[in-house]
Amino acid sequence: MFKKILIANRGEIALRIIRACRELGIQTVAVYSEADVRSGYIRHADEHVCIGPPDSTQSYRNIPNVLSAAEITGADAIHPGYGFLAENAHFAEVCESIGMTFIGPTSDQIALLGDKSKARETMLQHGIPVMPGSDGEITNLDQATGIAKKLGYPVIVKASAGGGGRGMRVVGREEELGKAILAAQVEARTTFGHDGVYLEKYFVDPRHVEVQVLADQQGQIIHLGERDCSVQRRYQKLVEESPSPAVDDSLRTEMGKVAVKALKVVKYRNAGTVEFLLDQRRKFYLMEVNTRIQVEHPVTEMVTGIDLIKEQIRVSAGLPLKIRQKDIGLTGHSIECRINAECPDTFKPSPGAVTKFQLPGGPGVRVDTDMEAPGHVHPHYDSMIAKLICHGQDREEALARAHRALGEFIVEGVKTTIPLLRVILSDPDFQKGRVTTGFLDRFVAGRVS
Amino acid sequence: MKSDQRKEIQELVEILAAQNLTEIEVERKDLRIRIRRESLSPPVSLPGALTPPVPSRDPIQVAIEVPEIDQSGFLTVTSPIVGTFYRSPSPDSDPYVEEGDGVHKGQVLCIVEAMKLMNEIECEFDGKVVKILVDTASSVEYGQPLFLIDPGTPA
Repeated sequence: MFKKILIANRGEIALRIIRACRELGIQTVAVYSEADVRSGYIRHADEHVCIGPPDSTQSYRNIPNVLSAAEITGADAIHPGYGFLAENAHFAEVCESIGMTFIGPTSDQIALLGDKSKARETMLQHGIPVMPGSDGEITNLDQATGIAKKLGYPVIVKASAGGGGRGMRVVGREEELGKAILAAQVEARTTFGHDGVYLEKYFVDPRHVEVQVLADQQGQIIHLGERDCSVQRRYQKLVEESPSPAVDDSLRTEMGKVAVKALKVVKYRNAGTVEFLLDQRRKFYLMEVNTRIQVEHPVTEMVTGIDLIKEQIRVSAGLPLKIRQKDIGLTGHSIECRINAECPDTFKPSPGAVTKFQLPGGPGVRVDTDMEAPGHVHPHYDSMIAKLICHGQDREEALARAHRALGEFIVEGVKTTIPLLRVILSDPDFQKGRVTTGFLDRFVAGRVS
Repeated sequence: MKSDQRKEIQELVEILAAQNLTEIEVERKDLRIRIRRESLSPPVSLPGALTPPVPSRDPIQVAIEVPEIDQSGFLTVTSPIVGTFYRSPSPDSDPYVEEGDGVHKGQVLCIVEAMKLMNEIECEFDGKVVKILVDTASSVEYGQPLFLIDPGTPA
């Protein structure tokens, strides 16, 4: 087992990982940029090292400084969290070459599954149902036009090096296709450094359902059920829940089998998430595989009782999974609300000093955050400042708890999405579980008009 | 800054240090000088530390309020990377600089080693080394103060 882990991240996920290490008796090293000098997560670690200025490319994404911090503190493993270096295949490769354990899959797996177009191809070759689309990247407009015609409009142009909802363009008609491809390529080149794009059929109003997977180094792969993440604004998730209101036991078993099969194809290890789109006729299609622990992992933890971060650490240390697939069951219902420091009407970021930060409590309430008052929301980083996860015996109770807890959650000094979340949870369609990916954009549009 | 003003400041800094004071302020018709000793960054717990760490370096900050004259004081050279600080190029050679040495722009002050790569840290300006803030073979983090330099042409 590792003696000391360096957490190459910040904020709530850094604190989450530190807590798991604490429980396992592992020493922790926190790293921070000059902007985070007074952030809450740092004092929970045994040691801390400043690794750069506020700009994350020079600090949290600064591979030499992160590795040097691990070297001078004698860490034997690095947990990358999510974002930053978590899906950086080069970083994982450098760790492998210097004998530093990267807590995650191998660099090859990150590279393969990170190339969304190649990942699709690989899955397709092994009979995994993927989103209907092009075989690989688009090479010219004629080819693209032909493929789009066969798929039927609308289609979506996606960046191969993208993911997480970025680098995408929806195309409604053939006349718009050429322009959309060019725009997507330019955006892809500037954002991801690679301008390859591919096509997929665009489902109007599907559900976004993802399956959590865990794999050990001995080849055992299990799934831990699904999460429904359909409440999204511009592809950014806001509310997630498990189980999905649209998934019954038999569909869960089917989707779980496909998720496990997909990861067996690449001999995956550590935690991963297989994202599917689920249409209204219970057909599901693999969209992408995320080779990291996800923001919404607590949703699964609450219904399965399994500590996913600890399991990540254990399998990275070479221990076989003690959990068997038959032991996994989803108990009750959990729902997560992402609390962002944004204006709830315009979604404009609201950085600044936090003067009050009172957390909710009571049964079935969990808050993952490192924010405190006095505190600060920095403009340099993601606007999410807390995650509220509520659990209940059924969906109704989980929702009632979340609604109550949001009412107890007091944040002053910055604006937050708490008021919007309360309204979403009170929405009749949401309460009936009738949520698809178009829900929030329509919901917001309805509020504005 | 006039040289007699600089001399005055230097004397005040010496009094501050010698008497272990936290702050000195001098006010005259044309000038007000306040010199305060404070920590620049939160405590760094270095490897092996088990108890809450205590700041081990106390750089002296000089705040000079002189109307219509450029503010200046001692400048701090900080580490631009994370690594291990060495005062000399190798274990058996002399240190690059000693306290009291004059330095010029571009002169190498020390090495910070990171991942087996030796990075020479250069001074960005002319001046005199007032204090060396870190011991050789210590770990340093980004932004950690390494040298206190009194800027200006060395005498």
